[in-house]
Amino acid sequence: MPSENDANLVACPSCDLLYNVGGLRDGERADCARCGDFLTRVRNDSLERVQVFSVTGLVCLAIACSFPFLSFKSKGLESVMTLPQTAGGIWDAGMPEIALVVASFMLIIPAGVMVLLLALSSCMAQARYFQWMKPLSRLLFRLQSWAMVDVFVIGVLVSLTKIAGMATVVIGISFWGYGAFAVFFVLAMSSLDTLQYWNQLERLHEASNAR
Amino acid sequence: MPADTAASRNLASCHLCRKLADASLHQCPRCGEALHLRKSNNLQRTLALLVTASLLYIPANMLPMMAYDTLGNSSGSTILGGVIELLDYGDVPVALVIFIASIIVPVGKIIAMYYLCWCISKGRAVSARQRTVMYRITEQIGKWSMIDVFVVSILVALVHLNGLLVILPGTAAIAFCGVVIVTIIAAESFDPRVFWDQQEQSNE
Repeated sequence: MPSENDANLVACPSCDLLYNVGGLRDGERADCARCGDFLTRVRNDSLERVQVFSVTGLVCLAIACSFPFLSFKSKGLESVMTLPQTAGGIWDAGMPEIALVVASFMLIIPAGVMVLLLALSSCMAQARYFQWMKPLSRLLFRLQSWAMVDVFVIGVLVSLTKIAGMATVVIGISFWGYGAFAVFFVLAMSSLDTLQYWNQLERLHEASNAR
Repeated sequence: MPADTAASRNLASCHLCRKLADASLHQCPRCGEALHLRKSNNLQRTLALLVTASLLYIPANMLPMMAYDTLGNSSGSTILGGVIELLDYGDVPVALVIFIASIIVPVGKIIAMYYLCWCISKGRAVSARQRTVMYRITEQIGKWSMIDVFVVSILVALVHLNGLLVILPGTAAIAFCGVVIVTIIAAESFDPRVFWDQQEQSNE
């Protein structure tokens, strides 16, 4: 039976059962025995992983935004699109609402999440604490569920097959850039553990107060 | 013996940072989010959002999702029309992806969430585990419905050969975007811990 007021106590998010996860060692994870939901995973190199994946991801995203994404040729005419134009095209077609939603889900929110991850994990890896870290961490965990990088990749593949019969489609550098960004985004998110992250941030906060 | 839950000790688990704190605090002492033992008004909120999503799903299917404009002749197609068109071209895998993402996933999610709400309002607490798993699956598949909206926006931006072939977005895209966003919020407002509370009560 877990003891009261224990810092290692955690409640299952799906069924509220209490667990003491203080005994977990590096590489171990805990799942709820009653409902099967994931509780937490301890990884000592979690921050380094997040840092590496977010830097690499951001470089890939910069590539993805600066070259042609796809181009389309038919009967001597050609149209080239870049990644930001995915939203720009639909904006010009008179649907700014959709343009904003699409741009947010596939570009703005994922990019924001990666920048936040990089800034926060870098500070935490150097054991520094600043006032802005808590509000930005809240923003990070709120935005998380609205990043749809993986869905967009499937959307691109579906679009390609849909128009492949109509004309010649040329795949640009940016296409591969975004694909790589998607991979690093998923890797970075899977290296981030909510409970461990906040516990660590709290320890840093307490240490900076003690000083 | 009753299960050792956070609520049984009057502890609330912060939904954002997972901190356990006294439920009377109303605000997480670690991250500052609002703190509740259970998500407030979870059933009413989820149901209200589900009704909204169901209503939005009607124009999303009746209106055209995308229109082709070839040399001045325009032809629009609805979601289902687009799937049938793809099948006619013999493009079965893509037709299947669109059918699953735009029809099976949102309809399945809405029906599953109605069912889960009905289970809670009936208060018959059996197989809480099964229902929790069902909830987690519906929560995770929701975002995949955005595929069709992404496809429309990519095709609109890419296929733009003035005078020869232009693809335009249809009004259904707005309604469909609404369905996806509203169902995601509906799933977030739902609280599966209520299943376990009800099971606990019926055991007593």
